[in-house]
Amino acid sequence: MKRLRRYPFADIIFGTVAFLASFLVLSLVFSTILVLYNESSLAIHKFGIINFILTNDWDPVREIFGAAAPLYGTIITTVLSLIFALPVAIGIAIFLSEVSPYLLKSPIGIAIEMLAAIPSIIYGMWGLFTLAPLMADYIEPAIQKTLGHIPIIGKLFEGEPQGVDLFTASVVLSIMIIPFIASIARDSLNLTPNIMKESAYALGATKWEVVKDIMIPYAKLGIYGGVVLALGRALGETMAVAFVLGNNHQITTSLFDSAATITVTLANEFTEADTDIYLSSLFYLAFLLFILSFVILAIAKFFLLKAEKNYSR
Amino acid sequence: MIYNEAYVKRRKIQSYIALLLSTVAAFIGLFWLGFILFDVLRHGISGLNIELFTEDPAPPGVPGGGLRNAFIGQLEIVFYATIMGIPLGILAGTFIAEYARGSKFAKTVSTLSDIMVSVPSIVVGTFIYAILVKPIGHINWGGLLAVAFLSAIIAIIFGGILNIIVNKFFSIKTASAGKFIGLVIALISTIVGVLAFIILTNKLVDKIQGFNGWAGAASLAFIMIPVVLRTTEDMLSLVPWSLREAAFALGATYFKVIKDIVYKAAATGILTGIILSISRVAGETAPLLFTSFNNAYFTTNMNEPISSLTVTIFVYAMGPYDDWHSKAWAASFIITFFILIVTIVARAIIHLRYKG
Repeated sequence: MKRLRRYPFADIIFGTVAFLASFLVLSLVFSTILVLYNESSLAIHKFGIINFILTNDWDPVREIFGAAAPLYGTIITTVLSLIFALPVAIGIAIFLSEVSPYLLKSPIGIAIEMLAAIPSIIYGMWGLFTLAPLMADYIEPAIQKTLGHIPIIGKLFEGEPQGVDLFTASVVLSIMIIPFIASIARDSLNLTPNIMKESAYALGATKWEVVKDIMIPYAKLGIYGGVVLALGRALGETMAVAFVLGNNHQITTSLFDSAATITVTLANEFTEADTDIYLSSLFYLAFLLFILSFVILAIAKFFLLKAEKNYSR
Repeated sequence: MIYNEAYVKRRKIQSYIALLLSTVAAFIGLFWLGFILFDVLRHGISGLNIELFTEDPAPPGVPGGGLRNAFIGQLEIVFYATIMGIPLGILAGTFIAEYARGSKFAKTVSTLSDIMVSVPSIVVGTFIYAILVKPIGHINWGGLLAVAFLSAIIAIIFGGILNIIVNKFFSIKTASAGKFIGLVIALISTIVGVLAFIILTNKLVDKIQGFNGWAGAASLAFIMIPVVLRTTEDMLSLVPWSLREAAFALGATYFKVIKDIVYKAAATGILTGIILSISRVAGETAPLLFTSFNNAYFTTNMNEPISSLTVTIFVYAMGPYDDWHSKAWAASFIITFFILIVTIVARAIIHLRYKG
């Protein structure tokens, strides 16, 4: 009798309900994969996997679909935005952990994190109405004048600057992912044991040498995790890119051309898809994006967990 | 040891330059924030007027009108998303932090929801589209789910109030009488919940007619769940185990310990998680594009396509009219500052409660 009373009625009910809730969360992930696969199976059977990824056609009229152009746009914007964001974000992290006066640390840190709280549609509007004209009128012509004449690199900056192009989209994306990298890198840098820094100073190292040779190697894993996490974010960003990229299914060598990403294609065409195979191809794109981002985020998680383990040792 | 003055000087200058560059980087970050906020403020203020909140949109091209439909629609969608997402997230977080603490299942769910937090929101939109919008004419599962949660919350609130009233006005002498009354209260509130479910289902849920507001709310709930789950789990893990042991020692059941001790100790943290998750989904656009879609007319009916502030901003900003642009800016202004203020408040709460 005593043993039975250990699990009274309310406890059993609450435990069961809570278990069902957590099981539902688990099943949401798997049902997403299943449903997206199921919806895209028509396109998967028709176009195959390799063929779909490498085909450049996107023709709703002839019902031929290939993901090469959106995939290309996605990868280019993501990589470029990382290149733009990384130095700034690491700089911010170093500033916050080493350079900044104590009183400014938390206000500046919060301000940087506010960048992550601004909704992506605001980035999009701002990019379209403010940044794109600035880009078209001043920055892109300036780049063309200086870098455009170098033989091979010049190819990247050909064409009439429109402002609505890969370059602007990457800049907007880079602003969006700066806070993610910066805050994770700052937290990792802050975890460097003081004794290591002090011993380096005692050997006569300058502040920068301490940062470069002690703190960054120590925080390496955490920074990797932050970067990969930001990569995942940039990959899946929709609204900010939808405004400033145009929706142009082509592969261009110039960064000053409009293009398409997977997310932009989905956002612009999903409600217009009128045939089954069109809709199925769009689901196929979503499925690819889901798998891609899931894998990348899992890698980020792996890095961060590993970093956590290293610190706790 | 070699001591070379020029070498030392070079290293010092190198250090200054590098640290100066990092300071510049910080100012670049602040510059972007200031630039964006200033721009939203500058364009948004001029578009603000009372008609924005009280009038429905004018036909395309005709100046005037407001965005009443979008404001109401946004509130409605976020409200139902909150009702679906928050209880699920809290319950799941409780299970993996309390009942399944440290087990493989808990670790799996926790890691998966960490990943889910960053899954592209547009993919969530396509998923919800596939299960709630595409099967036209089927039962409205999203609506049923929302109504179920709504009636559960009504039942809980009703039961709580009943409990307070009974405890206040009737002095209960014996333990068995207390148990009996507790059982009666639970029964009554269950009946109230079932009744509420039946009535609300008839009132609120129809068959799906393509795009509908419930699907929008469900997709936002999908995004909220992992956020709430993770904060709940973290906050519950912060509650010291000895506190629970003290309650166990007094003979409390685990449910009572969770309800009266753990939740009370972690209340501010969980509340902050809720606030943050609401501010997170308040700015989401992508999943709403093909779930709740858009509606140029005023409606509160969640079974129809329903207009939301963010989708309206998207449509208006992409549109050709200057008047639309200024309305989009005004709406952006409201949404941005709402989210920033909410985020700052939530952070202040966390700061005061857990670090101060």
